[in-house]
Amino acid sequence: MRLTVNGRICQLDVAPDATLLSVLRDQLHLTSAKPSCERGECGACTVLVADSDGKPAPVYSCLALAHAYEDDSVTTIEGLSNGSGPHPVQAAFVAHDAVQCGFCTPGQVLAAVALLARDPDPSDEAIVQAMSGNLCRCGTYPKIVRAIHSAAAAMRGANGD
Amino acid sequence: MAIDTRDTREPGTFPRRFVTTTVEVEGREETKVVELPEHEPAPWDEDADLRIVGQRATRVDAPEKVAGRARYTADLTRPGLLHAAILRSSIARGRVSLDLAPARAVPGVVDVIGSAELERRIRLAGGMLFDTTIAYAGQPLAAVCADTADAAWRGVEAIVVRYEPEPFVGSFDAAVAEGAPTVRRSSRKPASDDPAKSPNLAFGSPDVVERGDVTRGLAEADVVVRRVYRTPVQIHTALEPHGTVAEWDGDRLTIWESTQAIFRVREQVALGLGISQSSVRVIKEHMGGGFGAKTSAGAHTFAAAILARRTGRPVRCVNDREAEQTDTGNRPATTQRVTLGARRGGRLTAIVCEADVPLGIGGWEGGPAGMFQEMYSCPNVRTVESFAWVNTPAMMAFRAPGHVEGAFALESAMDALARELGMDPLELRRVNFAERDEKKDRPFSSNRLRECYDRGLAKFDWSAQLPSSGRWRRGKGMAAQVWPTGGGPPAYAIVKINGDGSADVLTGTQDLGTGSRTILAQIAAESLGTRLEDVRIVLGDTERTPYTGPSWGSMTTASVGPAVRAAAEDARRQLLEAASEVLDVDVSRLSARDGVIATEDGSATITFRSLCDRLGDVMILGRGARGPNPTGVGLASFGAQFAEVEVDAETGVVRVVRIVAVHDAGRIINPTLAEAQVEGGIIQGLGYGLFEERVLDAATGRMLNANMHDYKIPTMGDVPRIEVELLDVPDATANHTGARGLAEPPIIPTAPAIANAVANALGVEIVELPLTPWRVLDALRRRDA
Repeated sequence: MRLTVNGRICQLDVAPDATLLSVLRDQLHLTSAKPSCERGECGACTVLVADSDGKPAPVYSCLALAHAYEDDSVTTIEGLSNGSGPHPVQAAFVAHDAVQCGFCTPGQVLAAVALLARDPDPSDEAIVQAMSGNLCRCGTYPKIVRAIHSAAAAMRGANGD
Repeated sequence: MAIDTRDTREPGTFPRRFVTTTVEVEGREETKVVELPEHEPAPWDEDADLRIVGQRATRVDAPEKVAGRARYTADLTRPGLLHAAILRSSIARGRVSLDLAPARAVPGVVDVIGSAELERRIRLAGGMLFDTTIAYAGQPLAAVCADTADAAWRGVEAIVVRYEPEPFVGSFDAAVAEGAPTVRRSSRKPASDDPAKSPNLAFGSPDVVERGDVTRGLAEADVVVRRVYRTPVQIHTALEPHGTVAEWDGDRLTIWESTQAIFRVREQVALGLGISQSSVRVIKEHMGGGFGAKTSAGAHTFAAAILARRTGRPVRCVNDREAEQTDTGNRPATTQRVTLGARRGGRLTAIVCEADVPLGIGGWEGGPAGMFQEMYSCPNVRTVESFAWVNTPAMMAFRAPGHVEGAFALESAMDALARELGMDPLELRRVNFAERDEKKDRPFSSNRLRECYDRGLAKFDWSAQLPSSGRWRRGKGMAAQVWPTGGGPPAYAIVKINGDGSADVLTGTQDLGTGSRTILAQIAAESLGTRLEDVRIVLGDTERTPYTGPSWGSMTTASVGPAVRAAAEDARRQLLEAASEVLDVDVSRLSARDGVIATEDGSATITFRSLCDRLGDVMILGRGARGPNPTGVGLASFGAQFAEVEVDAETGVVRVVRIVAVHDAGRIINPTLAEAQVEGGIIQGLGYGLFEERVLDAATGRMLNANMHDYKIPTMGDVPRIEVELLDVPDATANHTGARGLAEPPIIPTAPAIANAVANALGVEIVELPLTPWRVLDALRRRDA
C-alpha cells in the first residue's frame, strides 16, 4: 500500500489487519505515537490525518486499520515542525511546562494542533471538549489548557489576526 | 546538626568514616550504616544567595518530549528483536497444567517457556514465576516470543491450558474466616506463629501502635464519634505499561526497563538468574509514569531476559493494558473503624483506628495508621492494622501509601466530630495542631501547617455558606496532611568537568516525569558556579552512575539533591584550586559564577573553558555523598487543601469546582515543577475520591474493569480550578539544601476535602469511596428516609 506520512510517500507491504499505529512504529520507526490502552480509550497513539477540508483531524492510530488510510496524509509529531523550529503548540507546551513524564505528550500536542486548526481562539470549554480524549495520568491538564491558550494567541499573532 | 557519630571502624584506619543512621521511607524506619562525608556543605538557609535554585527553570527534557524524540522502553528497537507475550491465569486459585507444543508450532513463534523451562525458581512480588499452583487471576503462567507481537499473542492463544479450579479468598473477611483456604501455599514460612490464627493473617499478627490509654481518653471525652470507613482498590494506571527489552552479549545482560529503581531491578535480576550484579546493566532513560508500581523486576523482565538468553536474540516484553491494570500492583482497599473522643472546645482525648487491609497475594505493611499517629496532637492514640493475604494480585506502594487511605477516614471523622461539637472544622484542626512528632516523641524539624491553614484561608472564603438552589447543592470542605519525607542516605553523585568546561553529573537516580533531571541540574549548576545549560544530568544507568536508591517515598530531591550539591562543590573547590595555580592568585580570593572564576575585584578571571583548556587531559572529578539525617528529629511535609463542590441531587454527580492547596515541603528548588507535582497529586486524589475503583467479580476473582474505559481516571473535563501555594521556607535541619519531599503529599488530602465538601453540601456523610453517583443517591435516600 501507499501511505503518506509527514509529507513523504511510503510504499509498504502491510498486513490486512495491521493498525496504523503498528505500521508507524514497527515499519516506519516513528515511535512518537504510543501504544498504551490499544483500544481507543487514552489518546496516546493520536496522529493527524488531513480531512476533506485539508485541516488536520486527530485519529486514534491504535484503532485505525492502516489500509483505510491509503492515499491519506498522516502527520506524526516527528513531522509537525518540518525542520523549521518547534511548532507554536510545542513551544507553548515547553514554556508552560505542560509535560511531566511525556508519554502522552505527542498525542496531547497533536490533539491541540487539530483543535487550533478549526478554532483559533478556543474557550476553556472548547479545549476541554477537544482534549478529553487524551488522558494524562501525571495531571498536566491545567498546564495544557494554559499552553493551548498561549499557542492560540501566538498563532493568531503570526497570522495577523 | 546532631549526628550519631558511632564509628564502625578503628579511628585513623580509613580516610572515610561510617556512622549508623536511620532513614524513614514511607513511614517505615530503616537503620543504615552510611558514609559521613568529609566536607558536608553548610546549609543553604533563608539568607543564602542562590541564583539558579529556586528559579522557574524550563524542564530540561521538555523539548525532546514535545518533539516525540524522548525514547521509552517500547520505542527501543534492536537488530533481530523478538516480541514476547505472557499467558496469564483466568482462575483465581487452583492448579494448572500446560501443553506448550501447539504454541511452538505457530508460525513466527521462536520460543516458549513455562515452569518446566526455568532453570531456577524466581521469586516475584506475587509468588514464584510461572508457578503451576495458582494464587490469583492474572498470574503469569508462560511466555512466548516471536518475530512479531501478533505472532507472540497467537502463540499464547495456542497454549493448551487445563485448570483445576479451587475455592479462592476474595476479601479480608473471607481470608480470616474459620476454615478459609490457605492463600499463600507456596510460602515456606507459616503466616502466623499462632496456630489459632488464620493462616492468611499477614506478618504474624496485627501491627499495634499505642500511646497513652485510649480507654481513659474516651472516658474523659465530652463527645465521641464512631464511624466505619471503606476505601477502594486504586490502580496506578501509568500511561506507559511496564516493559523490558533484554539483550545478551556473551554472559553480559543489558536490561532496558521502565522502572523507578534501576539498582533494585539489577539486584533482583542478578539474584533471579544466578549471575553477578556486574553482569547486569539496567538502563532507564525516560519512563511514562510509575506512581509506585514500577519498583521491582516483574514477570515481563524475567521473561524477556530468559527468552533472550535461550534464543540468542534481543527480546522485548511489554504489558498489554489488561495485564498492566491487573497485575502491576495497586493501592489496597481498607476498612477502618475509627473512634475519636474530644473535650468541649475540641481538644482530642482519644484517637482509635482499627484497620483491615487485604493485601493480595503479596505486599508490605502499608496501612493507614500513620495519619492517625502523626497528624494531630493527642495523648491517647491506638492503631491496629490487620493485613491479610487474599487471592488477588499483590499490592504495591501507590503515591503516599496508607496515608491516602487513612486521611479519608481521619479527616472525614474530624469533620463529623466538628459537627458534633458545633465547631468550625478548621478551628478543630488548629486546636489539635501537633507541635511535636508525638508518635516518636520528638520534635519535627519544621511544621508550618498553621501557616498553610492561614494561607489557604486568605484564598478560600471558608466561613460563608454557599447558596444551594434547585438540584445543584453546593458545599465546602477541607482536609490536612502529614507525610514523613526527609529523604536520606545512601545517595552518591560524581561530577566530571569536561575539557570544554561543561559538566556531566552522574547519579544513579531515575526521573519518573517528576522533573528530577531538571532540579538536580539546577542544584549542580548553583553549586558549581556555572550556567544551567552547561550541566548535563546522567541518570538511569547502573553501569554509568554511582548508586542511588529507588525513586519512591518522595525521597529523590532531599536524598539525591544533597549528594549532587556535595559533588558539585567538591568539583568547584578543585576548579578554584587549579585556577589559583594558573592565575597565581590565592584561592581564598577566588569564586565561581556563570562558569567564570574571578577574584572579588575582577583583577584576575578565567572561564571554566579556558581553565580546562589549560589543564589539558587532567580531569576534575567531584565526588559527593548524602550524609546522615539528624537524629531525634521527625522529618515530614505538611499541607492543607480546601475544596468547593457542586452535587447534582437528581443524578448524584459530584462536580469539583475549585481546590486551593497549600503545602510546605521546605525549600522549593523549582516552583513550576513543584506546582506540577501538586496539581498532579490533586488530580489523582480527585480520581480516587470520585471514580477510581477496581471491580472484582465475586464469582471468579477476576478484575472486571481492567481497561481505561471502565476504570475511570480523570480527564481534562473533570479537573477543577486548582490554586497552588508553596510556603518555600528552607528546612536547614533536614539537610543542607533545605528541601523535603513533595511528590506524594498533595494526593493525601484531596479525597477527604472533597468528601467533606460533599457532606457539607448534602447534610449527609458518605463513608465509602469513591463518591460515585450511586453512593451519593444512596446517601440522599438514607438522609430523607
